[in-house]
This record gives sequence, C-alpha cells and structure tokens, in this order.
Amino acid sequence: MHNSSQPRTDAPNAAGEPVIEVRGLAKEYRVFDKPEGLMASVTGLFNRKSRVVEALRGVDLRVEKGEFVAMLGPNGAGKTTFLKLLSGIITPTRGSATVLGSVPWERTDDFRRRFALVMGQRNQLWWDLPAAESFRLHKEIYRIDTPRFERTRDELVDLLDVRKLLLRPVRDLSLGERMKLELVAALLHEPEVLFLDEPTIGLDVVAQHALHRFLAHVQAERQMTVILTTHYMKDVAALCKRLVVVTEGSILYDGSLEQIVDRFTSHKIVTLDLDAPPDRAAIDRLGFPCEIRGPQVILRIDRTRIADVLPGILRGQGVRDVSVEDVPLEEIVAEMFRSGSTAGTDGATGAPR
Amino acid sequence: MTRYLSIFLTFARACLVRDMTFRANFVLECVTSLGWMAMNLAFYLLVFTFTPEIGLGTGWTKEPFFAFVATGMIINSIVQALFMPSAEELTEMVRTGGLDGILVQPLDAQFLLSMHRVDFSAFANGLVGVGLLCWAIPRLPQPPHPVAILLYPLLIACGVAILYSLVIMLAAATIHLGRNQSLYDFWFYLTNFSRYPAEIYSGPWGGPLRALCTFVIPILLVVNVPARVIAQPLTEQGGMMVAGTVFAAGAALVISRWVFQAALSKYRSASS
Repeated sequence: MHNSSQPRTDAPNAAGEPVIEVRGLAKEYRVFDKPEGLMASVTGLFNRKSRVVEALRGVDLRVEKGEFVAMLGPNGAGKTTFLKLLSGIITPTRGSATVLGSVPWERTDDFRRRFALVMGQRNQLWWDLPAAESFRLHKEIYRIDTPRFERTRDELVDLLDVRKLLLRPVRDLSLGERMKLELVAALLHEPEVLFLDEPTIGLDVVAQHALHRFLAHVQAERQMTVILTTHYMKDVAALCKRLVVVTEGSILYDGSLEQIVDRFTSHKIVTLDLDAPPDRAAIDRLGFPCEIRGPQVILRIDRTRIADVLPGILRGQGVRDVSVEDVPLEEIVAEMFRSGSTAGTDGATGAPR
Repeated sequence: MTRYLSIFLTFARACLVRDMTFRANFVLECVTSLGWMAMNLAFYLLVFTFTPEIGLGTGWTKEPFFAFVATGMIINSIVQALFMPSAEELTEMVRTGGLDGILVQPLDAQFLLSMHRVDFSAFANGLVGVGLLCWAIPRLPQPPHPVAILLYPLLIACGVAILYSLVIMLAAATIHLGRNQSLYDFWFYLTNFSRYPAEIYSGPWGGPLRALCTFVIPILLVVNVPARVIAQPLTEQGGMMVAGTVFAAGAALVISRWVFQAALSKYRSASS
C-alpha cells in the first residue's frame, strides 16, 4: 500500500540505515515526595523534597525495517517512556534517537505522518461519537485522499470484522471493540512505524487472539516496523521474533526469542505421566529437582544430559507418556526481572552490554 | 491555511454531531446562557433608570452603552464557543496524559489543543449580541462613521485575539503545573475588567488598574476599543487606541505562542 498523495521519504531505509536508532537515551524526572499527614503537608508547601527518578538509563537500540520487536518489562521499567521518546511526546535528558531519519522530539509534520502510536490505556477516538467520525477527522489530519482512505478503511474494518461497530458511539463499545477501532484509526494513514503500548491490556482471550492475527497479518503485508510493549508472553510469542527485556530503565536482553531460552536456562522440563503415583524416594534417587503431582512427575534436567539420562528414566518408572519442553518464557523473564542480571544480547541484533 | 480551515470545520462538524446527540443538554446550556445574559441586561436597564450616563461626559448613555454590552457579548461568545472548551479540557488532558495523542498528530499542537472543541451553545449569546447591536446602532446619538463600520470587525478580531492569547497562556500554565482547575475562574476574574467602559477606572485605585489592564494585560482594549469606534465619534485619541489594539493583539499572539511552545517542550506526560 502506498500513499498516492504524499511522496514518502524512503531514503533512510533504502541505504540500509536502521528505521530506529537509539544511542545512550536517558530520561530523568524530578518527582516530589508527598509526606503523609496534615502538618507534613503544610510544611511541604514551603519545603518540598524532591528526588530524581531515572526512567531510562542510557539505552541503545537499533531496529531494521520490517522488524516486529517486543519490549517486555515489569511496571515502571521504562517501556512506555521509551515509546514516548520515540514518538516525540517527551524529550530526553541525554542521548540521541532517530526514527525514519528524523529526531522524534523535533515533532516535524513529515515525521508524524509516518508513524502511529496506540496506547492500550488511552482512548484516542472521540468518546461520544461513532468511530466513523473519528476516522473522517483522521483523514483530514493526515491528508489521506478519499479513494485511498476508503480502500484502507474497508480493508482494515473487514480484517477485524468491525463494520457493524462503525456507527455506534465509542462510549457504548466494549474494551476489545474499542481497541480494534483504535487500531483501525492508527493504521488508516498507513504508517511505516507502529508503536503499540500494551494494546492487549484488559482484553479477553478471544479479543487478544483476534488482535494477534490482525497485527501479524498487517505487519507482514505492509512490512511495517513495530515496537510492542507488553506484559503478556502470549503477545510476544504470537507476534515477535525479537525480544527486548527492560528493567529499571536498562536493557537486560536484546535478542531472539529462541536465544533467550538457550542463554538464560541450563535445563529443560521433562514431564512424566506414570501408571501410578511414584515412590518419592525412587524419584529423588534420579538426582534432579522434581515436583510430584499425583501420577505426574516434573523433572528439571540439565540440557546437556537429557539424551543420556532420558532412556534410563523411561525404562524404569512405568511411564505412559513423556514430554520434554523448554522452561516457559514467562518463568525465564520473571527470573530475569527478579535477579535484574545483565546477560548480554544477541550479537546479530544488539550491542553487548 | 485552507487545510487548517478544513480540519477546523471537521472538528466543528463532529462537535455539532455530538451536541445534537445530547440535545436536551444543548438546549439547557443555551437557555442557561441566555438567562444569564437577560439578567445582565435587566440590571443595566435598571441602572439607566437612575442615571442617564455611565460617568458624566463619557458618552456612555443608554444606547451607546448597550452597543458596548453587545460588543462584549459578541467577542466573549466567540471565545467561549471556539477556544474555552478546548482550554478547559486541556487541564484534564495534561493530568491524564491525553495530551500525548495530540502531540503525535501531524498538525500544529496549539491549533489542535485550542480549537478541537466547539461549544455551539455559546454562540447563542453572540446572536443576542448581534441583535442588541442592531437595536442600538440606529438609536445612537451619532450614526457610526463608514470607517468605523470597516474597523469594527477588525477590532472584534483583535479583541478575540487578545482573549485567545490569554487563554493560551493560562493553558500553558496548565502544562507546567500538571493541574490547573482554577483556569476558568481566573479567566472569569480577568475578563470581568473588560466588561465595563474604561472610564469607570479612575481615581487613586482606578488609574493604576486602568494602566495595568491597558498596557500590561491589555484586557481593557478588548471590548472598549471596538465599542468606542462603533458607538462614539471617531477622535484622534481613538485612532491611537485602534493602532494600539492592533499592535497589542499581534504582540499577544506572538508572546502566547512562545509561552505555549516553551510549555510544550517541558511536557512530562502522565504515567500510564
């Protein structure tokens, strides 16, 4: 799809330049502590205590055209701050960034026509009006010519199956319906870069799945560059090949989904379904950390030893079924959040740290 | 410029659609607003049963004074309809982070923030003002000079520009403070000074107040100058006031633009 009325500047990508390049990006906020109690509040009027909070601490990132990058981190990690900086909403304390060759916080119209930001917790459609009215407004703001607007709108509306919702006031829609229409609005001007800030937050499983399918399809078709912040592993697994893990304003991991498993876990999970509940002592003799749930035994076995030890286990325990799986991604990432350990990056996509 | 006009008309259309969705509320707002105006007019009529003129020798007899009141109603209704709803909403947008959505759109942020809401019910006062002006003009002691008729719309625009600049600077304060719910109150206090002829501000207290509200915050120029031009004979001093008002409007727009841009560059956004 291409904007027939607006010439696109593809020069930054055509020369092999990254779509997004961030170097040493830092954002600090001065926050005021509000003391508890009436006297402290009155005293605070004249003598406020402030401290500096580092929302981002010198982040480096390079994203190529067409990448779908997930940014994962606990609350307050700096994910949304990062997207706000890349969208030009706020200015950094230090560092530099370019998106599509532009410095975001210069807020040029040319740059702002080429990306979109969808925030799961903020409503950008007119609350009291049908979404169709917001789309019309969007058409004017982004200078989309009528044939292109109608073609794109119809395509997106059909993909998400929301045609019947277009004329209902946004305030009457469910959260999932609203988010679908937010996405339609964001994509009407066919942005080259899409920033998604927790788009699936609060959605039920069906709505999440619908959004996953839609985003995967649109991103692949348009070769859009997407950065998605989320708390949900399902979003990451369904959509992204590259994962950036952020905690306390720093990137802990930047690499592929597959490599995070190799890099951060030394074992696999072997689940045995037995004929009957096993003898605990016999299981303990295997020498691996284990959990017993009735006739089911869950073992954590060193990855390098799986091939050696598994045949013996299968022979001796009356095993009906067995599965060998990687440690769930949620568990790995949760452990990373807890430990806050830095462990390097995928050499192909990010600089070591 | 055409594009911005087109976008403004789209905003206005969307606001009208919304107002028509809540018709009862729209009618109620019109009635409340007109009721308030009617009470003001009744009060001024009452005043003129006690005195033939507001300040002896000022020229503000009944009909010229009602032309003054009509001018104020027209200017205030334009500001109330076009700019105040957006400015009031800005407070909430800054507090909740809704401003983020505005800043990513490829349009001038000041335009979007100050003109995306239109309150059509506020035009009701303006229509009454036009009616009152049409009643007062044929009854003036001297008919307006043709130059005055040409200058009048320009000076109305200047008055609107000065008030708009004040709204924008108050809105910029919202961005700095994070929360400024007294915006509307402060606006009311300020514009209160503009609702009466400048001549009433005299004496040891009134003189400095008049100077302050003419040269520092040029709120006294907003209604006084266009009203004087249309309702009283043109004089040399009046000509200087006209030039001063045009200059003040231009300067106010430039200063408010600078203040607003500076405030936007300091925007912190709300936590998600």
